[in-house]
Amino acid sequence: MRDTLKPAAPLLMLLPALVLVPLAVLLPPLLHGGGWELIGSFALAAVTPSLDPVVLASLLKGLGVTVGMALLGWAGSLVLGLLLGVASSRTVWRTLTGSGVPAELIRRLLALPRAIHELIWGLLLLQLVGLQPAVAVLAIALPFGALVARVLSDLLDALPTTGLEALRAAGAPAPAALLTALGPALLPGVLSYGGYRLECALRSATLLGVFGLGGLGTDLKLTLQSLQFHELWSGLWLLLAVMLALEAGISLLRRRWLVPGRFVLARRGVGERSREMLLALAALLPLCALVGRGLGVDPAALLNWQPLPGLGGGDWATTAALPWPRLVGGTLLLTVLAACLAVGLAPLLLLVVAPVGWARQGLRLLWALGRLWPPPLTALLLLFVLQPGVITAALALGFHNLGVLGRLLLESVDATDPAAEEAMACGGSGPRLALLYGRFSALARPYLAYGAYRADVILRESVVVGLVGATGLGSQLLESLSSFAWDQLLALVAVYALLTLAGEDLSDRARHRWLRAA
Amino acid sequence: MAAGPPTAVLALRGICVRGRERPRLEDVDLSLGPGERVALLGASGAGKSTLLAVANGLLAPAAGTVLWEGQAPARSRRGRRRQQARIGTLWQDLRLIEELTVQQNLNAARLARWGWPRALLNLLLPLDTDACAAALRAMDLDPALLEQPVTALSGGQRQRVAMARLLRQEPTLLLADEPLASLDPRLAGELLALLLAQAAAPRALLLSLHRPDLLDGFDRAVGLKDGRVLFDGPVGQVSEALLADLYGGTPPCETP
Repeated sequence: MRDTLKPAAPLLMLLPALVLVPLAVLLPPLLHGGGWELIGSFALAAVTPSLDPVVLASLLKGLGVTVGMALLGWAGSLVLGLLLGVASSRTVWRTLTGSGVPAELIRRLLALPRAIHELIWGLLLLQLVGLQPAVAVLAIALPFGALVARVLSDLLDALPTTGLEALRAAGAPAPAALLTALGPALLPGVLSYGGYRLECALRSATLLGVFGLGGLGTDLKLTLQSLQFHELWSGLWLLLAVMLALEAGISLLRRRWLVPGRFVLARRGVGERSREMLLALAALLPLCALVGRGLGVDPAALLNWQPLPGLGGGDWATTAALPWPRLVGGTLLLTVLAACLAVGLAPLLLLVVAPVGWARQGLRLLWALGRLWPPPLTALLLLFVLQPGVITAALALGFHNLGVLGRLLLESVDATDPAAEEAMACGGSGPRLALLYGRFSALARPYLAYGAYRADVILRESVVVGLVGATGLGSQLLESLSSFAWDQLLALVAVYALLTLAGEDLSDRARHRWLRAA
Repeated sequence: MAAGPPTAVLALRGICVRGRERPRLEDVDLSLGPGERVALLGASGAGKSTLLAVANGLLAPAAGTVLWEGQAPARSRRGRRRQQARIGTLWQDLRLIEELTVQQNLNAARLARWGWPRALLNLLLPLDTDACAAALRAMDLDPALLEQPVTALSGGQRQRVAMARLLRQEPTLLLADEPLASLDPRLAGELLALLLAQAAAPRALLLSLHRPDLLDGFDRAVGLKDGRVLFDGPVGQVSEALLADLYGGTPPCETP
C-alpha cells in the first residue's frame, strides 16, 4: 500500500465542502433567538408576491433603470475594453513599433482599475460627482473595461501570427494587416466573453442599487428593511424573469453563432455569421443612446467635481493605527470560507439530489435566485437570526457565488459524455456514485480551475458584504467612507488592490496547475 | 424457441423495440443457460446493439418480458441495482474513467456492492490490491500497472483492463457489443479466448460479433436480421448459405 494519500480527481472536487464541518461547529453559537418568524414570512412571501399595480409599476420602473444602467455600463466597458485591450496587446505593439514593452506597461497599469470592485468605484464616484445615473454606469464600465481588456489582449496574443506576418511581408500597412489577420479570429471569443459580461453587468447594476445608486436594487433594499416581503418578492421574480431571459438569449446567440462557451476562449475559427454579429453590435449604438436619454445620463454633469474634504492634511497616524492584521485576516478568512462554500457545495448538492429527477430543476431555481439576489441583502436577511461577523458575511457571499458556480457545473455536466456514467449505472452503481465516478472525474480539474478564478472574484467582492460589520477591510472601508476619512479610504483601497492582485496571481497559478495536470 | 428454463441466466420473450421508421426488434426470443457462450451475428443495423441494450437493462422493451436469473426487472430501486450488479457489460468504447488509475477503475466495478465510505476511500487509497492484481493477471497483465493512470496504457492494455474490470464485478451474465471490432486479428483472437475462458458456469456470455471466422469457441450462434431472429442453434450449423442470408449477400467481413 502506498503511504501517500493522493486524492483522485472527483474527490478533489468535494474537498472544499469540508468547510461545512467547522461551520457546523461555529454556526449554532452565532444564532440569536430573534427573527425566525421574519425568515418564515420572508419565505412564505415567495409564493404570495404583491400584485398591487402601483407596487408593480414602481418596481418595473426600477427594473428599467437597473437594466438600462447595466446595458450602458456594459456597452461602455466593451468600448473601453476593446481600445485598451488592443493597446495592451504585445502582438499589436510589436507589429506597429517593433517592441512589446509599452503593452506590458499598459497591462500593468490596467491591473489597478481591475483590482477595485465596481462597488468601491461607485461609492468613490458618488463622493466625487454626486448622485447621478452616470455614476453607476461608470462604476460598471471602468473595472469591467479593464477586465475585458485583459481577456482581449490575452486572446490577441495567443493567436498565431503567421497570417499577420504574411500580410505584412506582402506590403500591407500594419493597422490593416492587424485588422484583417486577427479581427475575424477574435470576434467569436470577444462576443462570447462579452455576453458573459452582460450577465455580470446586470448583477452589478442590481448590487449598486442596494448601495443607493438607484434602480431596482434600491427598491429591494428598502422593501427588505421595511419588512415588505410581498413587494420584495414581486421585485425578485421580475428580476429573475429578466435575468433568465437574458441568459437564455445570450446562450441562444452563442449557439447560433457557434462560439465556444465561457472561458473556453482558446478555440479559434472565423464565425460564419460575422456580418450578423457586426450588425448586432452596430444596433447597440442607437439603443444605448436611447437608453442613456431615458435614464437622464448627462456626461457634462460628470465634470462638476465636488470639493474633496480634507484630502491635503490627512490624519495618517490614525490610519496607521487601524488594526490592519485583523482587517486583512478577516477579509482573507471571509474569502476562503465563501469560496469553499461555493465551490464545494455545488457538486455536493448535485450528488445529493442525483436520484430525484425533478430536484435538479429545484436546484436550478435556487441557483438562479442566488445569482440575482445581491449578497448584501442575503447578509441583511441572515442578520435576522445570526450575529454579524465573518461567518454571516461568508454565508451570504458563498450563496451568491454558489449560484454562479452551480450553473456552470450543471452546464458542464450536461455537456460531458454520459457514457461512463451510463456504464456505471448499468453495472448497478447508485445514481450518486455513478455521477461522482462517471461524470465528475472528467469535470473535476476544469471545474476547480474555474473555482480558483472565482475565489479571486470573491476576494474582490468581499467588500459588498462589508455592511454586515466586522468582516475585515470591507466593513472598515464602508465605515471610513461614511465618515469621509479620505486618508483611511485611500489606504484601504490600496491594500484591497494589493490583496486582489496577489490573489489574482495566486489563482492564475492554481488554474494553470489544475489545467496542466489534466 | 419456447420460454427458457427457470434457471436461465437471461431469458427474453417476445421482445419488441420500436424505432423511428421500422421496429428495431420484433418478437425476439432468446435464452442463455448457465455456462452458455452465445455469439450474436447479423449485419449492421440488424438489431444486435438494441438486443444487448435490452439484455443489460439500458433499454426497456415496448413489449415482451426480460428475465434475469428467472426474475423480472425489480420495481424497487435497490432490487434493480442488485440485478444490474450481476450483469457485466464490455462496451465497445470500453468506458474506462480516464482520470483514475487502473486500480481505481477496477474497483469502480465494485461500487454496486460497496457503500459510500469505501467508494470515497477508493479515490484516496489503493483498496483491495490483491483482488485487483488477480484480475489483471487473469487478463495476462502485469499487476505493476495497478498504480498507472489508464491514460498511460496502450490500446491493447486498455482493452484488457476493461475486461479485468468486468471480472471484478463478478457478474453472472457477460454481455459484449462487438468488443473485437477495432482490433487486429491476432489480438482479437487472444482477447476472445480470454473472454470465453471467463464464461464458465454459472456465468453465461452473449457477444455480438461481426466475424463468423471467430465462432469456434462458442456453443451457440444467434442470427439477427431486420430485428428478427433468423437462426438460433449450435455453431456447427452455421452455414455459408445462412451467413449469406444474414448479411444480405454481401460478404460479412473482409477476412484477412
